[in-house]
Amino acid sequence: MQRAVEVVVIISLVLVIALLLLLASEYLLPSESIRLLASFYLYATYNPSLPYYTVNSPQAVTAILWDYRGLDTLFETAVFYLAIIAGLALARRLYEESLREGVDLSKSGLSLIVKTVARLTSPMIIAVGASIALHGHLTPGGGFQGGATIAVAPMILIVVFSTLFLIKRGVTSDRMLFIVSLGLIGIGLTAISVFLIGLVVGRFAHVFQNMPKLNSPIGMPATIGNILISGTLWFFNLFEMFAVATGFIIAFVILMLIKGRWEVK
Amino acid sequence: MMVEFLNNYFLMIVLASLLANFVISLYGIFFKPHYIKKVIALMIFSDTMNTFAIYIGYRTWIGGKNPRPPELTLHPSSEALHEFTLRAVDPLPQALVLTAIVIGLAVTLFLVFLGYTLYMHYRTLDLREIKRLRG
Repeated sequence: MQRAVEVVVIISLVLVIALLLLLASEYLLPSESIRLLASFYLYATYNPSLPYYTVNSPQAVTAILWDYRGLDTLFETAVFYLAIIAGLALARRLYEESLREGVDLSKSGLSLIVKTVARLTSPMIIAVGASIALHGHLTPGGGFQGGATIAVAPMILIVVFSTLFLIKRGVTSDRMLFIVSLGLIGIGLTAISVFLIGLVVGRFAHVFQNMPKLNSPIGMPATIGNILISGTLWFFNLFEMFAVATGFIIAFVILMLIKGRWEVK
Repeated sequence: MMVEFLNNYFLMIVLASLLANFVISLYGIFFKPHYIKKVIALMIFSDTMNTFAIYIGYRTWIGGKNPRPPELTLHPSSEALHEFTLRAVDPLPQALVLTAIVIGLAVTLFLVFLGYTLYMHYRTLDLREIKRLRG
């Protein structure tokens, strides 16, 4: 019976892959032209001669992510938050139990050389992550990538020192959850900022609007002084960086803290 | 001519290894009994699918020049935009894959926490054992 099921699964896999290859045969070798939609995005992403279609961001991926298809990314952030909350709900009790057990911090962790190097490099990692996120509208990168880079620094500190060291320094799950919520509130407020400005000024404006559109002439400024911020994109990247970084830090801290409670059967 | 042949050959190598990854990760998801191995196979599977999606947005070399990433590095004059539109790759799959990667990471974190509670409950992560225990 088991054998028969395996054979059926393998045969159906081969058939499905053949079907996928048939459907994808048009794209197996990339062509010289790209789809019309992609051409439009590339042409309009930073084009001052199209004032009602442009995002004023030289980076087409971020322009699609937070402007042309911004609602997708908003709900995707909601999914990310829900997954973090679900994980917390599963591990919450264990986290509080583990906190009550005391550990001698001076004896835990790796050698003095490794600790010193980790102290030196972790601020640099955070700086690189912040740079990736805050230049997300100019160069490849953005809030997600910057946040994931920042979350590496606490991971190194957990390995080199210990999880309780991080918690004693103030990286508790409550505080991180607070920063995640602040980031999400910031994303929500940025999404409706132009609409709120429109309410105050008394003009019509869309939700999730960035640059001025034909039927709603107000919008976010593309530049502040002489610096390009691409309207809402810079703020979205900033808040997303906080939300993603602290979301991953919560998960790492809790997973590594309850590590000591695994028992071999 | 040689450059074109080598380009296509390297692309086919990428595609063949992606297909191999696809098959191996599906085998891991279905036939590996251990929970953590299933999760690892699932991660490899999702990364393979993301690379497929990016591959769809790729375009060939035009006139012996490689395609460029979808970032405009020059002042947006009309000629620069024309050249950019002619040579940059499709940005839409990249944007979709970016969201898919973060969702995949979050789902993986959730699965790991679920695995922890599974272990706490059954004291094993072998799914054959868990199926036998029925409790």
